[in-house]
Amino acid sequence: MTKFILRRVLLGIIVLLGVAFITFFVARVVPSNPAAKWAGPRANQEQIAKATIELGLDKPLLVQFGKYLTDLIQGNLGHSLRTRRPITQELLESLPATVELVLLSTIAAVFIGIPLGVISAKRKDKMIDHFSRLFSIGAVSLPTFWIGLILQLFFFRILDIFPMGGQLSTEIKILMDIPKITGFLMFDCLITGNFTIFFDALWHIVLPGITIALYPIGLVARMTRSAMLEILNEDYITAARSYGLKEKTVLWSYALKNSIGPTSTVVALSIGYTLVNTFLTESIFTWPGIGSYISSAVIGNDYPAIMGVTIFSAFSYVLLNLAADIIIALDPRVRT
Amino acid sequence: MTDQKTQFYFEIKDLSVGFRTFEGIKPVLNIEGLGINRGETYGLVGESGAGKTVLALTILGLLPKPAGMILNGSILFDGVDLLKQSEKQMAEIYRGKRLAMIFQDPMSTLNPVFTVWQQIERVITRQEGLKGKACLKRSLELLDMVKLPDTMNLIDKYPHELSGGQRQRIIIAIALSCGAEFLIADEPTRNLDVTIQAGILKLIDELQRDFKMSVLFIGNNVSLVNIFCRNAGILYRGKLVEEGLSNCVVQNPLHPYTQTLISAIPRSKSEKLKFSKTIIKPEAENGCPYFSRCTIGKENCSTHVPMLREFRTESSAESLNDIQNPVQKAACFYAGGTI
Amino acid sequence: MTQNSNLLRAIQPAVRELKVTFYLLNRNLLQRISMVIILLLILIAIFAPVIAPYPGHAISDTNPKDKLLPPSRQYLFGTDELGRDLFSRILYGTRISLRTALLAVGLALLIGAPLGAIAGGLGGIADEIIMRLTDIFLSFPPLLLAIAISSFLGPSLENAILAIAISWWPWYTRIIRGQAVSIRERQFVRAARAIGTPLPKIIFSHILPNTLAPVIVQASMDIGGVILTIASLSFLGLGAQPPIPEWGLLISSSRTYFLNAWWYSTFPGIAIFITVMVFNLIGDGIREVLDPRTRKF
Repeated sequence: MTKFILRRVLLGIIVLLGVAFITFFVARVVPSNPAAKWAGPRANQEQIAKATIELGLDKPLLVQFGKYLTDLIQGNLGHSLRTRRPITQELLESLPATVELVLLSTIAAVFIGIPLGVISAKRKDKMIDHFSRLFSIGAVSLPTFWIGLILQLFFFRILDIFPMGGQLSTEIKILMDIPKITGFLMFDCLITGNFTIFFDALWHIVLPGITIALYPIGLVARMTRSAMLEILNEDYITAARSYGLKEKTVLWSYALKNSIGPTSTVVALSIGYTLVNTFLTESIFTWPGIGSYISSAVIGNDYPAIMGVTIFSAFSYVLLNLAADIIIALDPRVRT
Repeated sequence: MTDQKTQFYFEIKDLSVGFRTFEGIKPVLNIEGLGINRGETYGLVGESGAGKTVLALTILGLLPKPAGMILNGSILFDGVDLLKQSEKQMAEIYRGKRLAMIFQDPMSTLNPVFTVWQQIERVITRQEGLKGKACLKRSLELLDMVKLPDTMNLIDKYPHELSGGQRQRIIIAIALSCGAEFLIADEPTRNLDVTIQAGILKLIDELQRDFKMSVLFIGNNVSLVNIFCRNAGILYRGKLVEEGLSNCVVQNPLHPYTQTLISAIPRSKSEKLKFSKTIIKPEAENGCPYFSRCTIGKENCSTHVPMLREFRTESSAESLNDIQNPVQKAACFYAGGTI
Repeated sequence: MTQNSNLLRAIQPAVRELKVTFYLLNRNLLQRISMVIILLLILIAIFAPVIAPYPGHAISDTNPKDKLLPPSRQYLFGTDELGRDLFSRILYGTRISLRTALLAVGLALLIGAPLGAIAGGLGGIADEIIMRLTDIFLSFPPLLLAIAISSFLGPSLENAILAIAISWWPWYTRIIRGQAVSIRERQFVRAARAIGTPLPKIIFSHILPNTLAPVIVQASMDIGGVILTIASLSFLGLGAQPPIPEWGLLISSSRTYFLNAWWYSTFPGIAIFITVMVFNLIGDGIREVLDPRTRKF
């Protein structure tokens, strides 16, 4: 198993290098005048010349890439054109809000998607299967950003149950001391015992949470269903039933554990989708995360910031997939 | 005669099972009658696709749903119709406790992601309520029972670390962990090497004697069944075409299909194998299932389905003098004719 | 002439596969409905200028006196902030979405298919390099690479198509490669090799045509996903630019007004949803039909 993981980590490093190269290519080679993009739309000749030197654009490509890599390893993603602040720092500040959303929807995907898929496979071609398939296909066909708007229209404008956006109510933000320990708002409220703020935060995360979670729930349910259908046909399932084991044991332990490979892969994939979906929805809910950050970067032509988010997300996604593969390696069949 | 029939410990009556396909329901199994006494072994022989495994799964109530359908008939076990039992009753009272099954492919019968211990433990805990140390003790006993060495070490292994023979022994241990009275062995040696086959068969034979189990042994090898089982039945396309003491069936086959089967067994080097000429005749939709391959079939075979008839066979009477009037049955209008 | 019949023979398995697929799909009610809707969408895309009540509103005309009117008999889906008829704009949007999706998928196929055939046909080091390349492209979260590329190329529909194709081709390379590896070992390819047919000719006239059936199926079910991606890019401001009536862009421009004009964001969203859903339903059906484990005759 160590050998497998080692090989996988090595492959991961190669992939990371490749990702770095592609982003380098997109940012520095594809645009006709990268320095102009890097210096910003209103830059004068002098600033562009300065950017050329800063990026090393006057040097050969290989040297440029070398500098690009060293910057990446040092965590230096450049400065935002809009705020002139280091992008790494801005990303770290907006990370917790996004992680909260992504985590919530991943939990939903695991605890709603997987059972939905299992039940659907168990009751194949029954009413509940049709319903769950239609739901999961619908969930992956919905434009996430549209769902956000429709939920706002319904629950804020018409019913007025949930707030339109933001992480907290304005009154609370002004009047109360917001705990800041880890940066994860809800978590910080919990450990400081600040339940007023916690519930306000909970109230605010409902709509963006639902918006973001629909896609991964559907995706995970679909994949779990097809994996389970295959497994339920295996001999060892029939054998387990012939031993008189409870159907519950057969389904949720005997069969489900065999689907660990496809399900953990799809959960990793769904986290990737969730991350990207936050790009589309956070700005709708004025959620102060990475998604809002990249939307405003796009609107403001802030190329270094766009690139920073791209590199950061791609790297986290590669690491995530690595983690999923290591979980799969726990499958005894892979262990040798 | 009818009185005697109800005394069978295990009996199948007029069973008919079908599979739903997109062309409608296709019958796959049609058994008029099959009986096994307590402590008896019954060998069911048939080519692949004859419906042997379907029968085994039907008995346990494990037919794949919704494709598999029981159309008619009853399976009486110790006086109770298994087909009328609810899924819950089957799981709680019969499967594992009183009925056990060994599957044909040991490679795919053990769950690949659990250790041997995890798989045995669940069954013992479920069936006997044993936990912890007592459970472990019982598990080791079971592995001893199936003559596996180094059980303490073996029990923590995953199936892919074990050989085919070891796996099949473990499967037998799990299946018999609760002292089942009736064992279905569905070609238990099909995917094993010849030397290992013999060991597994010997083990099943010994366990059958020790526990006085009734065994329904399913195989595609008539000579194996002859050695191992008292009674034998021949299944062709889901229909029982011949039945009787296995000795009689092998020595004096009545049904043309059985005759073909037995003539295909090589007896000695010098003997030339007789392969019946393959003749192509149209399928008889409403007639004998064997019609299309039969060499002696006549006109009426294609329009009427022959039922099992009894024959008294004198030729074999002397070799089996402990049995009074051995009865042999065959489903053929021209049974006993030579092919 | 012989060239032609060779080609015909080469694509015969593909044609038969497509026919069987169509037959099996046609049996499921939901899939039948989906196919009818897809047909309808194609017709709408083609005849948009004829059906649309205000074809001028689709691009340039404005009509400020009727701005932000709710749905009525005159304006079936209401009007936008410039008084343009949303119904006409959404009909035209069908045209844009389908065309862009087809172009993007086609372009991705154009890049991905030959690479896959080369990887599978040649094997060895070429295979290794191409497959690692697909690994790297696929290790970007979906949509992310397209966002990065189209923001650097400059926001326009054409660049969005390019960006999607660049991030999408590895899927096709993988499928084709898998097929090509197995076809490489088949008798007719061996025979061709034995008589000394040059390798490029084997790859492009023997292997490639025989791998196309599954990839065409995959590509057709990807159309839904691509439409969603285009809409997402446009929503972010990276795809279609005003006044193009692209669905994602319509939703994006509705954001300022939708709380008081529900119809503005609702109808384009429903259009996206239905279109993507029917393609996904067909795709799901196709997958089930093609997978021998779930195939039911």
